[in-house]
Amino acid sequence: MTEDKDKFHGNENMTDEELVEIHSKLNVEKHPPTKGFLSAPLIFVFVFGCLIFVCSIQLAHSTNQFQLHPPTDVVDLTDEEKEALRIERKFESGKKIFALRCASCHQANGLGIPGQYPPLDGSKWATSDPALVSYIILNGLKGEIVVKGEVYGTSAAVNMAAVPITDREIANVTTYVRQAWGNNSSEISTDEVVQFRQDTSAKQEQWTGDELVEMFPAVFTN
Amino acid sequence: MKENSEQIIDKSLKLAVCFFIASAGLWLLAAAFFAYIASAKLTDPFFLSSFELFTYGKIKLAQANAFVYGWGGNSIFAVTLWVVARLAQAEARGKVLLLFAGSIWNLAITFGLLGILDGHMTPHEMLEMPVEVWPALFLSYGIIATLIIVVHRSRRIKDTIAPQWFLLASLLWFPMLFLIAWNGLEIDAARGTVQSVLSMWFGQNVIWLWLTPVALGSAYYIIPAILGRPIDKYYLAVFGFWCIASLAPWSVVHHLEGGPVPMWIPAIGTVMSIAMIFPIAVASTNFHATAFQDINKVWNSLPLRFVIFGTLSYTVSSYIGVVFSLPAVAKITQFSIINEFHFNQRVYGFFSMIIFGMVYHMLPRITGKEIAKSAKSFHFWTSAFGVLVLLLAYLIGGLTHGVLAQQPSLDWASSVISSVKPYFLITEFAFIILAFSQLVFVINVWKAIIPSPFELLNKLSLIKKGAT
Repeated sequence: MTEDKDKFHGNENMTDEELVEIHSKLNVEKHPPTKGFLSAPLIFVFVFGCLIFVCSIQLAHSTNQFQLHPPTDVVDLTDEEKEALRIERKFESGKKIFALRCASCHQANGLGIPGQYPPLDGSKWATSDPALVSYIILNGLKGEIVVKGEVYGTSAAVNMAAVPITDREIANVTTYVRQAWGNNSSEISTDEVVQFRQDTSAKQEQWTGDELVEMFPAVFTN
Repeated sequence: MKENSEQIIDKSLKLAVCFFIASAGLWLLAAAFFAYIASAKLTDPFFLSSFELFTYGKIKLAQANAFVYGWGGNSIFAVTLWVVARLAQAEARGKVLLLFAGSIWNLAITFGLLGILDGHMTPHEMLEMPVEVWPALFLSYGIIATLIIVVHRSRRIKDTIAPQWFLLASLLWFPMLFLIAWNGLEIDAARGTVQSVLSMWFGQNVIWLWLTPVALGSAYYIIPAILGRPIDKYYLAVFGFWCIASLAPWSVVHHLEGGPVPMWIPAIGTVMSIAMIFPIAVASTNFHATAFQDINKVWNSLPLRFVIFGTLSYTVSSYIGVVFSLPAVAKITQFSIINEFHFNQRVYGFFSMIIFGMVYHMLPRITGKEIAKSAKSFHFWTSAFGVLVLLLAYLIGGLTHGVLAQQPSLDWASSVISSVKPYFLITEFAFIILAFSQLVFVINVWKAIIPSPFELLNKLSLIKKGAT
């Protein structure tokens, strides 16, 4: 039978009306009568049961308990490793603060500019007493000082009062300065800086070099 | 000559269905043209590169939108209207309104595509047409859908059967999807991740909840109608229907695997796409258990041959899709041209093939003119060959692409691109074949719909003779 010879209406084996009637009846009867046992529904039930099992396992394993954020890797660190990590983060933070606020004068390599800005690399002012460097940052410094045998300060002065800086930032940046380049001094904690700020709170003016030399005789005697 | 009820119904539908099929055909050609340019640009980046209009990003979107809304939308209206009216044994209402809404739909898409080509697209998947055209599209869709539902409401037999569920459900699901997405993306725009999840959810669901149910419903109608035997294991169909309704909107989010979204979204998507095996198994059991009882008749009837090709392609590549949704596999294939495989499989290999079959089934009944068997046969073989070549190229090329892209040591341009490029050449070739085959389809459809000028002249001269 080729369809070219088909007449288009009423010559099919099933008209649309029959189609609806037969299928509506099938909907009620569920299936045409067969002898014995229907294997297809059983196979479907079995396969679908397996699928639901696989799906629930997958769901339980991969949804991360419906949390908003992905799981963070929990790594057990020893105390030394934690300490090293803390120092490293502090150092990185200090490096950023230094680049932002100090490096324009003291240069990224900490060598300053001869005759204009004193070096920090190998300077007693930075590497000796934690209080000394913190005081300078807290209140500023003016007048002439001698760093590594050279005289500085005729043209420039440190004036930190103009830009507020937190204790934590001071602790990070001083720690960076004291440990970067060739320097190898102790860390300065935030608590120490809090104490330094309290000690100097009465001081309004910038420090002068001579004042500081007097206050920290141990640094400058040898 | 006494007309039977089906002839009366067909007569009432003639104008609207012919209008929708004719415009669907034109959009199909436009999409084929864009598809060719887009694929040619992948093999030769300098192809048409001096025209800003033909930028890859624009052409690619124009192709997808012309295909889904132009060809898909119009053919969905034609098929749904005809099948629903036939099954309801009721005549179409509001023919002028249908034509009016249909014209608005097509005009809006035309302006939308011009907008895309002019660079005014939105960033949301399958909502790329400019914001201004959507109210017009929504309005015209609403009118057409309402008129189809009116036909269904006046049905003679109160019980409904599988094709009606699928066709009417898709008719209602599209505006639902659109309103959710439009609300979350434009009216009260969601912030952050939600927006991209929503955009992707809509883009995939247009295919899963709009195109797919129409194709499934058509297959549920045409297979028993032509074969003259009821659907085998029909009691499963209702289960398949509700599975698609409840699982498909969840399953699409598996495409976000590894993306910057909460982990449960792709995880649920993966699980639900594994669960999509239920409806896929049900539909393919229904179709193929019925069709393979009388495979000779299937082979001899070209509309049915198209439909069974579509359902087989649906079965095989839906299972492939399930495999690709598994996280272990998705890791490799996620960012490869496998995505093209999924899209083209859905719209060419499955949806379009079934619609071709439906059009060849409907058109002779409506117009009374049969399309030459050689033309249909040519269309079938070129389409089947083109689709297979296209899908295989995207599948194998996508796997190659995905696996190579996972190896950071490889040089991108010299090893990855050069190994994927041959597959792009093959797809370019496949798109040319498909364009030819669709051209034959459209010419024949138009010939059947538009009365030939010679016949009109003959008729006129006969009338004149009669008058004198």
